[in-house]
Amino acid sequence: MACAQVPLDEQQVTELGPLGKEHTLPALHPARKEERFFVPYKSPPEDGSPAEVEEFLEHAKFITEDLEWLLALPHDKFWCQVVFDETLQRCLDSYLHHAPRGLDLATMPSSTAVADMQRCVHRAVFLTFLRMATHKESKESFLTPSVFGEIIYENFLFDIPKFLDLCVLFGKGNSQLLHKMIENIFTNQPSYYIDLDETVPTVLQVFDTILDKCGLHCEGATAMEPMKLNAHKPTAMTMSQQDLVDLILYLCDSTTTIHAFLDIFPAACSSFHSHGFLSRLISFYESAMPDLEKAVRKRNFDATGLQEDLWKRLSHSCRKIVEMAQLLLHHTCLQPILEGGENMQSCAEELLQHFTSFLPEKRFLSDFDEQFPIADYISLLQQALPVIDETRTSYLLQGVESAWDSVGRRMPHGNIQYQ
Amino acid sequence: MSPPRLTGALRSFSSVSKKEDINERLYDLKTKRLKRRELFAREGLTWQKIAHLCLDHQDNAKQQAELKSLLQAAKEIVGTEHGQAAVESAAVFLFETFHNKDHVGTEETRAIKQMFGPFPSSAAEASCACVARLVAPLGDSRVENYIQSLSSRHNPQRGPSFGRNIAFSYDCYALDPLEEMPRSDVNEENVSLDF
Repeated sequence: MACAQVPLDEQQVTELGPLGKEHTLPALHPARKEERFFVPYKSPPEDGSPAEVEEFLEHAKFITEDLEWLLALPHDKFWCQVVFDETLQRCLDSYLHHAPRGLDLATMPSSTAVADMQRCVHRAVFLTFLRMATHKESKESFLTPSVFGEIIYENFLFDIPKFLDLCVLFGKGNSQLLHKMIENIFTNQPSYYIDLDETVPTVLQVFDTILDKCGLHCEGATAMEPMKLNAHKPTAMTMSQQDLVDLILYLCDSTTTIHAFLDIFPAACSSFHSHGFLSRLISFYESAMPDLEKAVRKRNFDATGLQEDLWKRLSHSCRKIVEMAQLLLHHTCLQPILEGGENMQSCAEELLQHFTSFLPEKRFLSDFDEQFPIADYISLLQQALPVIDETRTSYLLQGVESAWDSVGRRMPHGNIQYQ
Repeated sequence: MSPPRLTGALRSFSSVSKKEDINERLYDLKTKRLKRRELFAREGLTWQKIAHLCLDHQDNAKQQAELKSLLQAAKEIVGTEHGQAAVESAAVFLFETFHNKDHVGTEETRAIKQMFGPFPSSAAEASCACVARLVAPLGDSRVENYIQSLSSRHNPQRGPSFGRNIAFSYDCYALDPLEEMPRSDVNEENVSLDF
């Protein structure tokens, strides 16, 4: 056991070596790792054949047993295992990659035994990540915060895709804990903000790829690529059914995952915002959603219920995009106004500019206004900053009303109360 | 196979994750079972201790024969290619598994398979019966106490498990559509395009 009141990264331990002779080495040392051989996770079988069920149960049992063993290790041994055991890292990664999300097509496990075992693995994986995100467990068991930041970053114990996976897998019922975990990690290792900044263009690329697959114009890099004059790209109506299903599943997963991350870790909103994420998202919404909805409504589908399911996924994606826009506006523009900071005026101006830029995007504007009435935002602005130009706000609210008219929907009564 | 995911794309196309090494060795179930057996063999309970317990103040000849039968059953389960130490360790595992059982149930079958892989059920039945005969003259509680005092699985020297008091929620995100599919469009399916 390592000595108390000294951070683990500064501790030395004296142990018996392989030849039975005592030797002193740093408490965090590869020689102190146990050979355990963590197995990678496999998702529950879809068809539920007995052999596959048995294989899943066996894998999952090994993982649960090993993670429970890991969680019961003392602080120093836990960190030796986490840092130096690559099989553990692969096991945890495989869970993040393959664990079923609540939104996957086949999420209901084939048997109670499978469901129970899946729940055990789910909890054990979360607790392992929670412990890995905790640099101070007690007065005696802690790491120097900066060293903790270095360890988790240099060993890829956490990275941006992992944060996103953690949020979408565990965020629904554990958002507060996850918020604390991610916040602690970003505080102790600011390099993750740089990584986040590097990741946002790839996220934008994902939306461009979906547009491209639908044969639609996109603002990003793909739009710059030369295209043959006679090239006929498939559209949502003409692509194969499997491609359409995959595309909608991809969209549904992407929107849910980004939304979960921004909701749990709002500090990420400014990184997304600085890349013009909001305008790209809205432009995507306006271009892709009507086409995809039309394809789902008009096409024939092989399987019963598939059409309804795809519609729900599309509609869910619409909701998530609208909610993402609200989160971005709230955390980058509205929150500073509500907090009464020095930049209130510039934030109010930015918010109004965003709303003005929404005016041509009528489908998005009406959907956004339905969930988050723009009149409420205007009212808040008028209360916080009485100098807001009334002609401008009236113009904006008229634009919102006109958006409702142009998409052929009636504006809910509550949304026009401030006009 | 997992459906297409955003994080899969981020791992493939961004530079913020560790690149997976396709040549890395993945531990399969066979390797894992070997490792589990190795770890089990290092735990406190040994074949010598079990033999000592069973032969203490009992009909030694009868108990000797049962111990021999248990070793034979263990050999059939662990495989003939393994040495005496592996067979004895397997016999310890079987003793620990069956000391308070009167038949081979699903749990026991699973536990043996997880340790040794596929095995002849007759060997499991035989070992269960052997253990029952070995334990009978000793008394259940005496054996239970003995195993608990020696087996590190029953008597962990390690600290309490991290997170045991944390309220964990199993809730997961579910589909939350903005609107239902317009009914009129569903009925128009028959006149739609086909591919």
